[in-house]
Amino acid sequence: MPLLATKYFGILSCEPADCYHFPSGIPGFEGEDTFALLNLPGKEPLVFLQSAKTSSLCFLALPILVADPRYRLSVSFEDLEILKLGKTRQPRIGAEVLVLALLALEGEADATANLLSPIVMNVQNHRAVQAIRCDFKYSHCQPLPGLARSEKC
Amino acid sequence: MLVLRRRAGESLMIGDDVEIEFLEVNSQGVKIGIHAPREITILRKELQLTEMQNRAAILTIDPAKLNWAGEILEAGK
Repeated sequence: MPLLATKYFGILSCEPADCYHFPSGIPGFEGEDTFALLNLPGKEPLVFLQSAKTSSLCFLALPILVADPRYRLSVSFEDLEILKLGKTRQPRIGAEVLVLALLALEGEADATANLLSPIVMNVQNHRAVQAIRCDFKYSHCQPLPGLARSEKC
Repeated sequence: MLVLRRRAGESLMIGDDVEIEFLEVNSQGVKIGIHAPREITILRKELQLTEMQNRAAILTIDPAKLNWAGEILEAGK
């Protein structure tokens, strides 16, 4: 079983089923094209997107419907092509694709989720893309009141 | 904010070096052409925001500092 050096959890064994290929990289980190999706007991619903190449590169994320239960996808034709999905409709969250919102923690505020640019992952072929919306219907830093800094609690 | 009305085939200048040409306008959107010096970076705004936010995510996030409060989890089920 391949081993993976992680930012937060030391060396973990990693199944190929947990790995996703980002053919176009992640904006800001273009050379990074393989990430492992880590679900760790006790951390749910948080998930970790750990770079396979760079152990210090790990995103923290939430399933998009946890961040916003009414979220509607808008994946562009180009991104559907990268995912090798049909272009006639949006993919079904959960059944065809996993969709994650990346989290950030800036200043003294609560955590925020990037709903402008969800990570969309095809569960069949394990191709993935950060599907940037161009409609600006969602914020790139949506506050998440449920995810508080532990110092405050 | 400066608001201007332009038609297809018209253009405008930003400073002395950058020209924005409006090539095509229809119900789907606007096709523009940009003439600018090579050293000027031109990015779609949503891509620039995403790059900035991804870098911020990596620099700022620390799972040890986060406490899951639970209400959102219930709502997401």
